[in-house]
Amino acid sequence: MPGVSSRLAAYSQVVLFFGAFLLFWEYGVRYFEVKSYILPPISAIAVAVWEARSEIFENSMYTLAEVLIGFGAAVVVGVMLGMVVYVSPFAQRTIYPLVTALQTTPKSALAPLMIVWFGYGFISKVAMAFLFAFFPIVVATLGGFAGTAKNLEEHFRALNAGPWRTFTTLRLPSALPSFIDGCRVAMPLAMIGAIIGELVGSERGLGNLIMLGTASTRTDLVFGCIIVITLISLALYALIEFAAKSVWWRGIQV
Amino acid sequence: MVSTATAEAPQSGRALNPAAEAAANHIEARGLNKTFGSFKALEDIDFTIKNQEFVSVLGPSGCGKSTLLRIVAGLIPYESGSATIKGEAVRAPRPDVGVVFQTNNMLPWLTVRRNVELGARIRNMPADARDAAVDKILDVLSLTKFADAHPHQLSGGMRQRASIGQALVLDPQILLMDEPFGALDALTRDKLNVELLRIWQESRKTVMLITHSIAEAVFLSDRVLVMADRPGKIVEEVTIDLPRPRNAATTRAMPKFGEYVAYLGKVMGVAS
Repeated sequence: MPGVSSRLAAYSQVVLFFGAFLLFWEYGVRYFEVKSYILPPISAIAVAVWEARSEIFENSMYTLAEVLIGFGAAVVVGVMLGMVVYVSPFAQRTIYPLVTALQTTPKSALAPLMIVWFGYGFISKVAMAFLFAFFPIVVATLGGFAGTAKNLEEHFRALNAGPWRTFTTLRLPSALPSFIDGCRVAMPLAMIGAIIGELVGSERGLGNLIMLGTASTRTDLVFGCIIVITLISLALYALIEFAAKSVWWRGIQV
Repeated sequence: MVSTATAEAPQSGRALNPAAEAAANHIEARGLNKTFGSFKALEDIDFTIKNQEFVSVLGPSGCGKSTLLRIVAGLIPYESGSATIKGEAVRAPRPDVGVVFQTNNMLPWLTVRRNVELGARIRNMPADARDAAVDKILDVLSLTKFADAHPHQLSGGMRQRASIGQALVLDPQILLMDEPFGALDALTRDKLNVELLRIWQESRKTVMLITHSIAEAVFLSDRVLVMADRPGKIVEEVTIDLPRPRNAATTRAMPKFGEYVAYLGKVMGVAS
């Protein structure tokens, strides 16, 4: 158990490192006279973000909604498909290879298609977030079910447990740690999907703001958006980590 | 006669009177064969275990003794011959049979109490009867203090005791145990042997214990069946004529105990 003082030391190391990094950025670009449309000093970015704060906030919420709905849909459909593939050998032979094939196509290439199908608005970005997040969740769910301990399955058989009871009492809790791992991977991917969708064609959202910033050589605003996207992704990831705490039996073997 | 038939539902239309039931063979195998592909796991297995009898099946690892237990438990099918419990052919796991496996069957996300009552929940025992049964079992197994702990917080010996509790909570007439102490250190194993003996002497269940420990088999059993491998078959049957109730201090010190251990060691040496 690290004590308070050693934890404080660890935090101060992090603060010092990032402080040094930001200082280097701020004074490096001035010292080497880097043009501000290539790399603006960090202070200019902060000013740009502050000045455009209401615009950035509004577009952030828009993108966040795309990500969350796309991710949520990926969880629902992914878990259902994972279950179907697990229980049905037919689905394992037919649907699963299809899903795997879809996974190997670069999903960024599907962005223009999504816009043709669902328009420039909200739905096409939700579809992109869904496409990116979906596969890791299917794989993780399936892996979780398949990883149910064989001795426990036999134990349930010896107790004449029915399929439904075995599913809810044994397989579902067994699969949860793996499912959470899938969410960990899928959540940042959902953000990537939504942003790619917005970059390809959109009317709102942080990706749209980046496109506008690039067109008007507002590199400071572009950097601001990138930083905000990263912060939102980190916050979403932290949310998953928080949820993962309730699945504390991951990796515990008894 | 001690009655253990508390939760016993009528198994068939055949109504036996208690005396006839006591005399009946609880577990019986006749000419039992089992193959896995081209591998002959069991050949012509013949044995009977009487009501309230404690019988150990002793054999080297890989001799098919666990396979035999799984067949009797109704967990795997067999090719030819017959396996019967109370005169009925075994086709599926039965509610009057409890099984304890070598690996403890704790669900890591449930407390010890929830783990022990798992079987009672699955078999839809009424809540008040279940709670009473679990309290009693936890007490018998000295696990009351750990009822709200999770399995990973217990020692291996305690987890195995809780596993036995999972089977005992349903008060089965027949207990099938597949090397329940195989994964434990010798000291813990001896202690749990004593505990199992005490529980058996109180509740008098019919027990079939699979083991590779000669001392364990002699200490606990009325009879020991010795198996040889490739293919698995019963090569020797020894009645352990040691007085009951047995206990750790005196029984193990008896000259006859040593003689049985030596004899079975010789048989095993020849057999394996």
